[in-house]
Amino acid sequence: MNTEKQRKNPFWLLGKSGAYAVLLLGLVATLLPFFYILVSSLKTNAELRQTPPDFFSKEPSLQNYTTILSDERIPIERNVMNSVIVSLSRVAITLFTSSFAGYIFAKYHFKGKNLAFGVILIQIMIPFQVVMIPNYLLIVRFGLIDSLWALIIPSMVDAYGIFMMKQFIESMPGELMDAARIDGASEFGIYSRIILPQMGPPLASLGIFTFMATWNDYLWPLIVLTTPEKRTIPLLLVWFQTQHTSNQGLILAASILTLLPIFLVYIFLQRWIVDQATQSAFK
Amino acid sequence: MEISSLFKKEVVSDGGKLMAKQRRFAYTSLTPILLYMGLFTLFPILFAVVMGFFSYSPIRDGTGFLDLGGANPFVGIKNYIELFTGTGKPAEVFRLAVKNTFLFTALVLPLNLVITLPLAVILESVGERFKTLFRAIYFLPTISSSVAVVIIWEYMYAPGWGLLSLMFKAIGLVPPKSWLSDPSMVYFGIPLAMICVVVAHVWQDFGYNLVIFVAALQSIPRTLREAARVDGANVWQEFWLVVVPLLRRTVLLTSVLTVISSLQVFVIFQLLSRGGPQNQTQTMVLSIYENAFRFANNLGLASAMSMILFIIILILTVTQFRILRTEWEY
Repeated sequence: MNTEKQRKNPFWLLGKSGAYAVLLLGLVATLLPFFYILVSSLKTNAELRQTPPDFFSKEPSLQNYTTILSDERIPIERNVMNSVIVSLSRVAITLFTSSFAGYIFAKYHFKGKNLAFGVILIQIMIPFQVVMIPNYLLIVRFGLIDSLWALIIPSMVDAYGIFMMKQFIESMPGELMDAARIDGASEFGIYSRIILPQMGPPLASLGIFTFMATWNDYLWPLIVLTTPEKRTIPLLLVWFQTQHTSNQGLILAASILTLLPIFLVYIFLQRWIVDQATQSAFK
Repeated sequence: MEISSLFKKEVVSDGGKLMAKQRRFAYTSLTPILLYMGLFTLFPILFAVVMGFFSYSPIRDGTGFLDLGGANPFVGIKNYIELFTGTGKPAEVFRLAVKNTFLFTALVLPLNLVITLPLAVILESVGERFKTLFRAIYFLPTISSSVAVVIIWEYMYAPGWGLLSLMFKAIGLVPPKSWLSDPSMVYFGIPLAMICVVVAHVWQDFGYNLVIFVAALQSIPRTLREAARVDGANVWQEFWLVVVPLLRRTVLLTSVLTVISSLQVFVIFQLLSRGGPQNQTQTMVLSIYENAFRFANNLGLASAMSMILFIIILILTVTQFRILRTEWEY
C-alpha cells in the first residue's frame, strides 16, 4: 500500500508514530478508570482511606469479594438468577417476535402492510420516559408490580429487531420457499424450517444486544421492583452504593463483579456486538 | 434508506387460492403482535397525552375510566401553564432542568465529535489487527452497566483520594475540594458538577459514534481516494476534499442520534450528581422520574413534562428520517 518513497519520508514516519500515540492515549483514558477501581478493590479499608493513597495495594487481598459473596443478608444468588431469568426470557421472546414478524413483513403481500409496519415503527420514535408512566399504571392494574413478569411483559416486541430481521429476510431468495410450498409445507413451517435456520448471524447479534441491554437495564426495574429478593443486578449495585458509603472497598468489588460477566461475554462475541451497534445506527 | 419504503406504494398481488391462504396467514400472525403494540405502545402514548390534562395521582381513587375524573379532575392545560409560568417548586425546578438538559447536550455533542472523528480517521488508517483490537477496547465502556460507570466515576471524582485529584496534584494544580457537590464552582457559566457528568458520560458513550464513523470511513471506496492521489492531492487534501464531504451525512445523522440520546440520559444524573448541587444537574428526565415516582406521585404533571420532552425528540426524529431519506450514492 505505502510506497518505499513514503516510508523513507520523515514526515510520514512522524505521522505514523503520532497516530499510534493518539490511539494509545485513548486506550489509557478508556482503561485507566476500570483499572483504578480494579486495583483499589483489592485494598483494605485502611489503605483506601489513606491520603495520598498508593496506586497499588501493598498487600492485595480478595477480602472485599469474599465479604460480598458470603454476606447472608444479601440475596446475591437470587439477584443474579433474576437478572439471568429476565435477560434470557427477553432474548428468547425478542428473537422469536422479531424474526417471525420480520418474516411476515418481508415475504408476504397484503393490504395495510405499510400501515402495520408504520405502527410498529412508532415504538422507535417514542422516548421511553413518555410510555413509562402509563406502562407503570398498566403493570399495577395487571397485578404484576414487584414481579419479574413486569420486566418481561412490556418488552416482548422490539421494533428495531423486527426492522433488522425484515431487512435480512428480504435479501433471502424466494425459490426455496416456493419449493417448500409445492412439497406441502405450511406457512409457519416455511418460517421455522427454511427461514429460521439461515438466520444465525443476525439473530446472534440481536440476541447478544438484547441480553446486554436487559442485563444493564436500570430505570424500569427501579420503578416496578421493590423487595430485595426481586432486585436485578444493577439495583443490587445501587443498594450497595447507598448502603456501604463508609466501605468503599465493598462497592468497588461489587461493581467489578457486575462488570465481569458482561466483559467475559464481550471478549468472545466482540465482533457481533460492534457490528450490531454499527447497524442499529443506520436503521 | 429503508424507512423510505414506507412511502412507496404497496403492490398487492391478487388472485389464486394460494395467495388468499398466505394473506390469511399474514393477518392471523400479525394480529396478536399489533394488538400487543396497541396495548404497550399506542395506548400508553394516548394515555400519557390525556394524563397531561388531568391532575392525576395513582394513590387517589378517581371515578371514570382508569380513575380519570373524580378525585383526579380534568384541569385542561393547567399543568402546562404551571410548567411554563408557574411558581410552584416542581415547575421552577423543571424550567431549570430544561436549561440544564440543553446545556448538557450542547456540551456532549461537540466533545463527543472532537474525540470520535479524529480517532476514527486515525483508527481507520492503521493495520487491520490493531484496528480491531483498539476498536474493541474503546467500545468497552459502552457495554458497561451505567450503574457501574457511576461507581467508577464517583471514585475518580472522590475528593482527596480520587484519581483526578491525584493527577491534578501531580501536575502542580490545586484540585477542587469537592468535584460534585460545591455549587459555587462554576467555570464560564458551567457548573463543575455538570462538567464532571459530561466527562463521565462522554467516556461511557464515545465508543458508539467511533465504531459508526470507522464503518462509514471503511465504506468509502478506495478508488475515490486513489483517484484523488493520482490527480496529485496530498494526504491533507484527500481528507478534506474527498473523505469529509462523503462523511457529512453520517456525521449529521450520528449527531442527531447523539442529541436524542443525550436528552434522555438518566442514571448518571440520578446516581452520580443526584441532580445537585442546588439543582445544577437537574434534568428533564430526572424531573419526570421524581415527580412521578419519587416525591410527588404527581403523574399528571410528570406526563405534561414527558410531553414536552416528547415534542423536542419528535422534531429531532423527523429531522433524522429526512436525513435518512436523502439519496446518497458514492
